[in-house]
Amino acid sequence: MHVFLKDIVPAAQNNINTRFIILDKARSPPAAAAAASSGKSCIALAADETAAVHIQLWGEECEAFEAGDIVKLTNGIFSYVRNSGLLLRAGKRGNMEKMGEFTVAFVETPNVSEIQWSPDPENPKRYVKKDVVSAYSRIFPPLP
Amino acid sequence: MEKGKPFVASLHEAENKLELSLRQAFVNLEPKLQPPFSLDIPDPQEFLELSRAILYAVLCDSGSSKTHIKHLHAVVTDGYAFFTSLLVGIVLELYGKLVNSAKVQLLWLTKEMVSVSSVGLEDLLVSLLRRIGSGDYGDQNVWLCYELVSLFLDKWGCLLEDVPLVLTSALYNFLRLLADHCRVTGIPKLEEVKRLEIKFCVRMFREQLHLSLKIGRDLVRLLQDLVYISEFKEIWNDLICSDILKIYQSKTSSRYFLLRITPEMETQLRFLLGNVKLGSHKRHQIWFLKKFLLGLEKGTLLIDIVRFICCVVHPSNEIIRSEIMPRWAVIGWFLELCRQNHHVEPRVKLALFYDWLFFDERIDSIMNVEPAALLMLWSIPQYLHITHSLLEFLLHLVDTYDVTRRDMIMRSVASAFKEIERKGVVQSLDMFLSSPEIAPDLKKKLANLLSCQQDIN
Repeated sequence: MHVFLKDIVPAAQNNINTRFIILDKARSPPAAAAAASSGKSCIALAADETAAVHIQLWGEECEAFEAGDIVKLTNGIFSYVRNSGLLLRAGKRGNMEKMGEFTVAFVETPNVSEIQWSPDPENPKRYVKKDVVSAYSRIFPPLP
Repeated sequence: MEKGKPFVASLHEAENKLELSLRQAFVNLEPKLQPPFSLDIPDPQEFLELSRAILYAVLCDSGSSKTHIKHLHAVVTDGYAFFTSLLVGIVLELYGKLVNSAKVQLLWLTKEMVSVSSVGLEDLLVSLLRRIGSGDYGDQNVWLCYELVSLFLDKWGCLLEDVPLVLTSALYNFLRLLADHCRVTGIPKLEEVKRLEIKFCVRMFREQLHLSLKIGRDLVRLLQDLVYISEFKEIWNDLICSDILKIYQSKTSSRYFLLRITPEMETQLRFLLGNVKLGSHKRHQIWFLKKFLLGLEKGTLLIDIVRFICCVVHPSNEIIRSEIMPRWAVIGWFLELCRQNHHVEPRVKLALFYDWLFFDERIDSIMNVEPAALLMLWSIPQYLHITHSLLEFLLHLVDTYDVTRRDMIMRSVASAFKEIERKGVVQSLDMFLSSPEIAPDLKKKLANLLSCQQDIN
């Protein structure tokens, strides 16, 4: 089932199907992220009509996608990555495919990677929103 | 026999639906594409699949193209309408993904469709004309331009008989391209292209003047950029001596403005003006700029874009009342992009005001003149230089565009202003005439201009 970015919740499951537009991409992979993993990765800002999120591109994905690309994510995962915060990514079992360019009217706030989540007291396996750390991305601030 | 895939594959890109349907049809029917062919008449569904398979086979294999096309001739029952629609789909959706050899095959198929005068041929030729990129002098683009202008010359007779209006579209297209091409030297193949473009355009004027004049008033705008070329000097003089008033009075159909806008550019401009909110438009603007406007020779594209926005993209009242990017704001951005480019800026402004000069409320749409009016008005508070430069340009046009028909142009511009007020585009022309910011001499000239119409009324 296709979900909007505003509805994704951190979980250790590869089951997120969504589509977003890439707004910006870090020029070089952050040292911390590169050190944390053996492969090449980079962080990008993505958004849809409802919310924005930080995504992690892996290996060839880093070159394959550019700002303005519309991407379909199948079986993605939204979880904490050490030193990089909450990231949406394809992971080993998921897949990202470019399906167009330009034609998404997006919002940059809220950014679901800039929300602090905490375990749901009624169901500790689930996360619920606790605090908004920042309305907009702190890594990719909105254009002036 | 050499076989290759007709489309460039990219690892992280979803396969286009049309591409997928062609490839699957080919995979399913490949054994049936070689003689001896089945004598059974295919049912409608089989015919569609067979058409797709034949198209894919021709695109990827030049060795047996003639066999494949004979096969198509044998089974076709719809005047090649379906096959042509597939070709149009490829040109519009997949042209950029075609490998070079497949582009050659596509052009070969197009000539075949001209020979059989297929249903939908005009759409196919128009979509190919739109594929000639502006300000792109790479081999592939110059090749396409060469192929198409050659096709229009070689198949002149067929086209004239079957789809004469496509010649008018080709004339608009090549006149516009010539203005750019004549500024570029040192590309041997382009010299040949220019020679053929001139040959085609001159032939249109000399042999099919009535078809040429169907372009309407923008024909004059295009031709005035070419009068320094000897072949056009004469045509220009003839045209001016003829009933040029009639040409001025005939509004150019929106179909012509699409010719110099690629399908991708059209999609993005329509999206920008139909879905993106003012205030959160910056990233979209930057993407558009990067994709279409970077490059020394791309600047003149702004002329075509402004004409396209004024004459083709007419938003609904609902969109006008919403927070969506208004046309005047996008045009203001384009004007800022070409500021101080002396070759481009005046032509972009002329494109913006062109319908003002001949405005007749009985035939002209208020939507064609609305963007310039609102851009002048809404620039007053923060971008007064835009208001001034536009107003000055317009008043200068009135005086100089066609001195012998100055009165007519004055009346037209005045009536455009009146109509803008009458239709409520601006609340009152006093917003210009009494604005404390606008320079007094411009206000005075504008008041004079507006009073001329009152005298007549």
